[in-house]
Amino acid sequence: MKAHEIVVIGAGAIGTSVAYHLTKKGYDVALVDSGDLANGTSSHCDAAAMITDKQPGADAALGARSIKYFKELSSELEYDFEFRQNGSLYVCETELEMEVASDYIQKMQTEGYSVHMCDPKELSEREPYLVKDLPGGFWSDICCALNPYLLCYAFVEQGKKMGLTEYTYSPVTGIRLDEKGAVSEVETSKGSIKAKKVINCGGCWAPEIGKMVGVNIPIKPRKGTILVSEGSFPIAYQKVQEFGYMLNKFNYDVKRDVPPVVDEYNVSFTIEPTHANNLLVGSSRNFFGFGTDSEIEVVHAIATRAMRFYPILRDISCIRAYSGVRPFVEEHLPIISKVERVPGYYIAAGHEGDGISMAPITGRLITQIISGEEPELDVVPFSFSRYDQQTAYSS
Amino acid sequence: MSERLDDDVLVCRCEEVTVGEVREAIRMGARDLNGIKRRTRAGMGLCQGRTCEALLLQILRQEIPGITPEEAGFFTPRTPQRPVPFQVLGGGEI
Repeated sequence: MKAHEIVVIGAGAIGTSVAYHLTKKGYDVALVDSGDLANGTSSHCDAAAMITDKQPGADAALGARSIKYFKELSSELEYDFEFRQNGSLYVCETELEMEVASDYIQKMQTEGYSVHMCDPKELSEREPYLVKDLPGGFWSDICCALNPYLLCYAFVEQGKKMGLTEYTYSPVTGIRLDEKGAVSEVETSKGSIKAKKVINCGGCWAPEIGKMVGVNIPIKPRKGTILVSEGSFPIAYQKVQEFGYMLNKFNYDVKRDVPPVVDEYNVSFTIEPTHANNLLVGSSRNFFGFGTDSEIEVVHAIATRAMRFYPILRDISCIRAYSGVRPFVEEHLPIISKVERVPGYYIAAGHEGDGISMAPITGRLITQIISGEEPELDVVPFSFSRYDQQTAYSS
Repeated sequence: MSERLDDDVLVCRCEEVTVGEVREAIRMGARDLNGIKRRTRAGMGLCQGRTCEALLLQILRQEIPGITPEEAGFFTPRTPQRPVPFQVLGGGEI
């Protein structure tokens, strides 16, 4: 039977980062996935690592630390994952949004982040094709663009050079515990792997891997749809989002004046230029189960909203739409933690739309937790015990 | 289409991907059409794989003898199937 010190389950951005960082630390690691690398959320999402989509406090601290490590990884990993730090812009539609934004920016500045409010003139200078009737927005030069699935390949290619073993197309079918209730073996459709430690990096599918040891992980799939434009001349120069996106994500009680279809599918405008000169135009947020078809109504709503901010898109073609599911947890903070009652079992999942941006720091924190070092950030907000005590959730 | 294509043959014209790049993707671990697509961008361009999908399948079968159609898969069908201006998708007239 195969044997490794640690089995990492799930080969998306989180799993490949965890596997890479553990391997780099000197552990003998196996990375297991039911399909190809980056087959789930990490190839069906947007392509940015942001600071201005995080809430002040633990959330922003994770995001900022991760971006710092992305910069190091872009030279450390030989495989190019199209990283560039080109900043990002938020735009407001109303004076009320400006007020909420201004309050948010003040808090972020107090925590030391490089962000500032923009007037309409600065918006226009940064984004010449942006509609001209907006009261303002805010800008941060910290935010980055990168290709999420190439990031997964980059982690694995570099990890393999240091001894990482990859078992793709090997669905996990069970996890065996020893007589003391500790992890002893991971069973896959292609054979078992002895291991004393398992990291569940299953994202939306993490609850299934939790059930195998009787642990209830409260992650739900939240679906998002994105449209891809034809390759074009530069239309957007960095990621641009409506501030409604933040209101939407963090459930602020501010209602936007939008067409019913936009409201119904929880659509807020985002646009980002890719390395290949396509535009990614989004996006929606809905609880529709695990399906990843792109509903025509949602596509319609996204296109409608996008033309409100970039009228020039009217004459640009969309070549495809894609949808993915994000691992949603109630509190917007990921689980990066050991599971107290199952020795050897760890979870790194539940990042929702922040899995790409938080992948580097998540890999480092799990490695620090496992090796017994003092974690570089306070990990209490990310501990699983906050859920494991809430048995009421199991319904 | 059974002949073995040279490495420098262009297999996806939209994204300018060669047969050699597809073979490299398979060496890297691609085991199906979507895995090749993500590693090379073949099929991500204007025609969405109409031209290259069959050629990619041929290369996949040559590089991984015995691969079944189920294993090789197919490009995930994507709305709107052909390029459509945002104005039309948003409900306007052409």
